[in-house]
Amino acid sequence: MANIFPKWTNALPLKVLVGAMVTVTALAGGVTYYFTPKYTRAGYMPSQPVPFSHAIHVNQVGLDCRYCHSHVERAAHSNIPTSQTCMNCHTQIKATSPRLEVVRKSYETNTPINWVRIHKAPDYVYFNHSAHVNRGVSCVSCHGKVNEMAVVWHDQPQSMSWCLDCHRAPENHLRPVEYVTNLNWKAEDIGKQQVAMGKDLKTAWNVQPPLTCNGCHR
Amino acid sequence: MKRVNQHPTESANPTGRTYWRSHGELHDTPEFRGYLEREFPAGAAEMQGDELSRRSFLGLMGASLALAGFGLSGCRRPESNFVPFAKSVEWQIPGELLHYATAMPRRGATMPLVVATTDGRPIKVEGNPLHPASGGGTDAFAQASILDLYDPDRSRSFLFQGKPSSKEKFAAWVKELRTAAAADRGASLAFLVGDSNSPTRARLQAEVAKQFPSATWCVWDVFSDQNEREAAKAVFGNEKVRVHPKFGAADVVLALDCDFLDEDEGGLEASRDFMAKRRVGKAEDSMNRLYVVENRYTITGGIADHRLRAPAGQIGAVAVALAKAMVDAGVGALQDILSVVPATELKKFEQSSPWITEAAKDLAANAGKAVVLVGPHQPGWVHALGWAINQALGGFGKTVVTAESGSAAATSLADLVKKIESGAIKTLVISGWNPVYAAPSDLKFAEAIKKVATVVHLGSHVDETGALATWHVPAAHYLESWGDGLAEDGSYVGTQPMILPLHGGLSELEVIAHVTGREKIDGPALIQETFKSYNKNADEATAWNAFLREGYVAGSAPAASTAAYNGGAAKSFVQTNFKSTPVPTADAFEVVLIPDYSVYDGRYANNGWMQEMPDPITKLTWDNAVLMNMAMAKKLGVKTSDISENFAKTKELQPRDGQGTGVWGDIVEISVGGRKIQAGVIVSPGHADHSVSIALGYGRKAGGKIATKNTSGEAVGWDAYPLRTTAEPYVVSGAKITRLADAKPHLFATTQQYFHMEGRALVRELPIETYKHHAGFDEHGKSFVQKFGMDSHIPPAADIYTNPPLNGIHKWGMAIDLNTCTGCNACVVACQAENNIPIVGKEQVRRGRVMHWIRMDRYYSTIDDKDADPQVLMQPVTCHHCESAPCETVCPVNATIHTEEGLNSMAYNRCIGTRYCANNCPYKVRRFNYFDYNQRPLDQLVWGPFAEKGMEETLKLAKNPNVTVRMRGVMEKCTFCVQRIEEAKIKQLRVARDSNNVKVPTDSFKVACQQVCPTEAIVFGDLNDPKSKVVAMKKQDRDYRMLEYLNIKPRLSYQARLRNPNAKMPGAAKVGMTSDFPHGDSH
Repeated sequence: MANIFPKWTNALPLKVLVGAMVTVTALAGGVTYYFTPKYTRAGYMPSQPVPFSHAIHVNQVGLDCRYCHSHVERAAHSNIPTSQTCMNCHTQIKATSPRLEVVRKSYETNTPINWVRIHKAPDYVYFNHSAHVNRGVSCVSCHGKVNEMAVVWHDQPQSMSWCLDCHRAPENHLRPVEYVTNLNWKAEDIGKQQVAMGKDLKTAWNVQPPLTCNGCHR
Repeated sequence: MKRVNQHPTESANPTGRTYWRSHGELHDTPEFRGYLEREFPAGAAEMQGDELSRRSFLGLMGASLALAGFGLSGCRRPESNFVPFAKSVEWQIPGELLHYATAMPRRGATMPLVVATTDGRPIKVEGNPLHPASGGGTDAFAQASILDLYDPDRSRSFLFQGKPSSKEKFAAWVKELRTAAAADRGASLAFLVGDSNSPTRARLQAEVAKQFPSATWCVWDVFSDQNEREAAKAVFGNEKVRVHPKFGAADVVLALDCDFLDEDEGGLEASRDFMAKRRVGKAEDSMNRLYVVENRYTITGGIADHRLRAPAGQIGAVAVALAKAMVDAGVGALQDILSVVPATELKKFEQSSPWITEAAKDLAANAGKAVVLVGPHQPGWVHALGWAINQALGGFGKTVVTAESGSAAATSLADLVKKIESGAIKTLVISGWNPVYAAPSDLKFAEAIKKVATVVHLGSHVDETGALATWHVPAAHYLESWGDGLAEDGSYVGTQPMILPLHGGLSELEVIAHVTGREKIDGPALIQETFKSYNKNADEATAWNAFLREGYVAGSAPAASTAAYNGGAAKSFVQTNFKSTPVPTADAFEVVLIPDYSVYDGRYANNGWMQEMPDPITKLTWDNAVLMNMAMAKKLGVKTSDISENFAKTKELQPRDGQGTGVWGDIVEISVGGRKIQAGVIVSPGHADHSVSIALGYGRKAGGKIATKNTSGEAVGWDAYPLRTTAEPYVVSGAKITRLADAKPHLFATTQQYFHMEGRALVRELPIETYKHHAGFDEHGKSFVQKFGMDSHIPPAADIYTNPPLNGIHKWGMAIDLNTCTGCNACVVACQAENNIPIVGKEQVRRGRVMHWIRMDRYYSTIDDKDADPQVLMQPVTCHHCESAPCETVCPVNATIHTEEGLNSMAYNRCIGTRYCANNCPYKVRRFNYFDYNQRPLDQLVWGPFAEKGMEETLKLAKNPNVTVRMRGVMEKCTFCVQRIEEAKIKQLRVARDSNNVKVPTDSFKVACQQVCPTEAIVFGDLNDPKSKVVAMKKQDRDYRMLEYLNIKPRLSYQARLRNPNAKMPGAAKVGMTSDFPHGDSH
């Protein structure tokens, strides 16, 4: 009687198994990367109606974040500046630049500018900027080095697990409150180690980031 | 070791003492039994019986999902925009609440408020804590007024002869009107306005009178102080004088048909002052004593220590009997005024004489510390007699004060109708609320105004009046317009707008100002003019800003009136106005037309929150009903499914499976003098014999979707206005009531029957003497109150499993003092406004799916089943935030978990809707969103995905952005206002910055129900903070935790209700004695 299964079939179960493992691993890996905010959000860089460059305003001009995002220390929401804020300077500086035409028109006709939203927490998440920037969490921890961005992009995934990473170990990000808006600042600048300093600050300030649902979901 | 919780069995009840919430429960009808056996009402898990079964629904859903898969679009989220202002706006911080002081115009007095706005839209009303007339508290009507602003049915355009017109065309017409009116000095012009004490309106009225001296100015409202005004005119020589109680000085209060804890007298300040005298912090404290005489149960009657049922038409006779008894008790001064009362009237109330005699003795013994109140609907002579009693008791200047706060007299509606009939009136401007619907039926107002060439209707809706008007002008809501008024104490308060009129409407002041020739009204100009006369500050701009910030002019309350009580005038007034009402009998019932706790006179009828708010006493939603007691129902042969065995036996009445349960009530016809109405009956314990009550304001024909039609397409209640006449606006006597045997009974949706708790000493009350006798704690640290019922023999607490430690910085807890809770429902509606709680419609209420996070339990208590005089207790029940929460252990997806600060929190996104938690909650406080109540029209709920989706645009504006709007299939419940807690904590973090000062300051914020409560019965705070109020409350020996024996450690505790009976009164032995006192201690 002829052999029903040729010899090459001996290795088939192993091949199928290995193949299946590779596929499953790739699938799992793909889903965890491509289906999560690490891919879907981070890197999002839409073009804005006004070619505003944070790099110029922060690194060259030396503006503090809070000049434009003026309510960040008092409110949940970090406000996008009004056209009036732009015109505080731009009535004097580059007052006729064609790149600022949209801003001038908005100010004169009192019609708002439709900035494209980059960071968006879901409706059921109640993130509060003031609770973070007043307690030594720098802008850079969540938004990246905006001071170097000519066009702003979504830097961090801002997923729930990413939030919790910091809420579980805030020492990795805490810094003295006076350096919160200095995006280039490092613990080493004052001769300290981030984690050791963070732990000290956490104890000294009684920092207890909420880990229960109600901290962010109401 | 296994521990079995020994739930008490339904005891044989040898004493006969019971608490019961409905007749069905008391009589244990088969319908009620069947109802109880299911955790959720019958068919709660079904969609809709036959129309769409669960199976076919799943099939449909599967198909639609498969279809949706093909159209799956990109995974990237859609582009969205930030739209900042072009120019910065003062005070405005995006996303943050901004508060404005304002005031709500109400009949009688204006209520000072502080309104929270977010991004330019008002979202929540609170009381103005700076003003004594509010003290931070509000009531349900004020809370619900935010929904009126966003009512999608509000009229949106000017209408001329029913066709859309415009503001400009109206302004042009007003010009023509002025020319015409100038020609005849206004003889053909008439105004019909509501009762208001706005000084600006008075000023404009004077201007109208100056420009058009012959114009008619008619002030009319359904409920008015007309009777009191007439009596005041005679007795004090000034019709504006009103007599206000000073409860702070009163130890004994007797209320004659006066629901002063609701709308009837003194506003919120009266509630607060009265309850302050009942607040017992320690055993040495004393309480005031309240006697109430009334025909139906009111919330004031529920608080009473002694209550006498008497027909509303006999209140005068009771007052006479009381005065006579007081003469016998030594108050000789009353002899004089009684001499003008016929001898027959003096004898009328002999059958109740022990009650009246002893009450009179108590009042006499407390002369100078006693007050008698007469309800506003009682005839003038009863008011005069009440003042005489207060005078004889030495009350004036002590327990009652006079103040000039009433409005001046104007042309009456009857006189206006006469003028119209004579053809003199060519233009009628109506800004009063809906006279076509609500005017006394004998005036035939709807017929009359057909004789007027041009009728202008200013109203928020095209209602019954708007439909007949030539011009309809959309009215601006008070949150959209400038206005002013006088608060309860007479101080000057301002109303300022927070938003431009959503539908371009005008305010009443603007319309009148237009008629006076002001073509353009510049914002607050009208109010600023009036403000000048109240301002004492030389720097007017600063004073104006302070007025806007604080909402009122401090020190503008007038001093007490110098008007003195004139005994001789009172005597002759009683003599001329005395009218004896025959005692009602089975052939000649009296019908009492009462203001409704939900819709008042009908003006709040299109407000879903108010319609769904269960009546404090009957627990009825979405309907009114003829209320009568059990004996009268038997006498009339009227049956309802909660008192009659096998009522629903006839097949067509059997609610189909899936239709839930309600209360079936027979339909009766009430006829008197040729006027007839038909309405359904609800049996209401504690009602007077031969007296029935029916709330006004229902059975609307126009005025919005909610007011006119319920979710089953039926009318909402019955219109009782046809019975109302000019002569008998309140008590209609001589009515014949017949049961309509052929009419199909009506199915009412009451919330009183479900979530039954089997009598486990849930609510606790005791007489103050018993309390004092047992004050303090025993050797186990337990107080007398803590040992009621099952709790007298709890096994030592042993936890079955360990919980994670609750070691947060704060430890949140709540205490509710049952002794000061009136059950007014303000907290229920405040919670609804704060937490975006949807309404569900009548049919869903009947199925037990009402979504309120606070349930106001109303208990009747009797010692003897046959007792026709039950007492009433109120108990707000909300999530107890148990430290060993039973709901948490059964959740398969960890959607409900504990925070380290002790909140039992819900993560809506995790919830998959198993409802296990609700099944395991011993307090039954969890609510499940069966349908997308927020997103679907309530009459299309069962259509599922085929229903229209989406909220009305205006309703979206009413939502609190700080609270998630929950979707269908998700469990929800009280969160202890976690948004306010987090806000307070974050506020403190902003203060703390780089310090460790992160503890929220003592009692620095309030939760919504606590903030609204006018009597401060609800206290919330940090249990870790020894200085907080809630810690003090919980230390009291009256403090008890509901279902203590379950050892689930609730964070919400109650303070037992105390009653202060007068031992000499008939029935005193049973007052406050219904609770299951600790065993072997039955006194």
